[in-house]
Amino acid sequence: MTLPYGAVVLEHFRRPRNQRALERPSAAHEAFNPLCGDRVRIELELHGAAIRAAAFTANACALCTASASLLTDRLVGLAVEAAVRITAAETLAALQTDVPRAREACAVLPLTALKEALRGSEGA
Amino acid sequence: MPDILEQLAALREHETRVAMATLIAARGGSPRPIGAKLFVGEGGRLLGSVSIGGCVDARVVEHGERLLRENRAQRVTVTVDDSEAVELGLACGAEFDLLIEPISLNGTDSAIEAFQTATNISRSGKEAYVITRIPAAGPPARMVSSEPFDATGPDVFVERIAPADTLVLVGASDVGAALARIARGLGMRVVVVDGRERYATRDRFATADEILVGMPSELARPHYKAGTYVVLVGHEYKYDLPVLRDALRAPVRYVGMLAGRKRADSMRGLLRDEGLSAEHIARLHSPIGLDIGGREPEEIALSIAAQLIAVREGKPIAQRG
Repeated sequence: MTLPYGAVVLEHFRRPRNQRALERPSAAHEAFNPLCGDRVRIELELHGAAIRAAAFTANACALCTASASLLTDRLVGLAVEAAVRITAAETLAALQTDVPRAREACAVLPLTALKEALRGSEGA
Repeated sequence: MPDILEQLAALREHETRVAMATLIAARGGSPRPIGAKLFVGEGGRLLGSVSIGGCVDARVVEHGERLLRENRAQRVTVTVDDSEAVELGLACGAEFDLLIEPISLNGTDSAIEAFQTATNISRSGKEAYVITRIPAAGPPARMVSSEPFDATGPDVFVERIAPADTLVLVGASDVGAALARIARGLGMRVVVVDGRERYATRDRFATADEILVGMPSELARPHYKAGTYVVLVGHEYKYDLPVLRDALRAPVRYVGMLAGRKRADSMRGLLRDEGLSAEHIARLHSPIGLDIGGREPEEIALSIAAQLIAVREGKPIAQRG
């Protein structure tokens, strides 16, 4: 299978980091794209105001899977406050490839899941 | 074998009484399996068959109508002589023993109760056995067991009601919709999984037993059992890869994926790189289906269904070039 993306996307699609289910996630959210069918679930283990562990499960395209891999790698040890401020632009830049506008939604889907997971954990 | 309760439910819409003819023995070969049933409605409707049609079924219909009028059960033998056998396509003459009995579709009927009990057991995933004692005169008596039962003597007939095979369809595509319709007709339980709720709908999969929307690899996993056929018809690597990782390692009967040769080989390469063994990867049927040359969804579905039947019957399947 040939992918029209760079080495970073290919590496994180073929050997995704943190692709597993956490035993006891304290925050989780599954985001999906209703048309293309990408699905990604981000799970977090929070410890105080920090993220102790982050993992994901995906039935998703290469861009989405690679993005989830890179994002969860970045999250471990990060303050929740900092995680909330991660932007779509940063998420796209992390892929180090030209993401067509029509496919940006795929790459940003894990970030959407992250924000929703953190929103859901507020006050929990 | 068709689900007898579904057959009775279909008859109940138009009939109040039927004669149920069950093939209990055959000598000289039978085109239908022992246990095959033909229902003859009081109002004239027919459902099922105990032969491949022709004069055997016609004679059973006559007996059924007579026994409905007489309101009694009878063991009947239908004989096909050699000249008839040639017409029927049988290699030689044959004899068929049938139990024909009147069944009341409204109200209580002991036969229906027995099959209801057995079907409930089989739908829970276990085998059930309906044991029918056929007296010289009078109605047959039935009991149901969840343990295998050895028939002793010509007056006892045992029917095994096995859990239906399950077709897990990954991808609610048009091919999937057509295959779901065919598979249901083959007596399979059909489970449709997809991540897209606009595709996996009751409108598109009217006869499916379950329609599940969510993470396909997770939704499919609980259905992986010995009698499961996993068919990936979404043509989406985003679903194919995670589902194949599990399904090829699971004790399922069949795994097939809709793909051309090149795409199928690429998927095998990705799975190999991920560490799946050659033995696991060799279980994948892809390109899927028998090579009959069709391109329309219904035609592709038919070729897949034919392959599923071949696997079920233990027939060798040639690799597609």
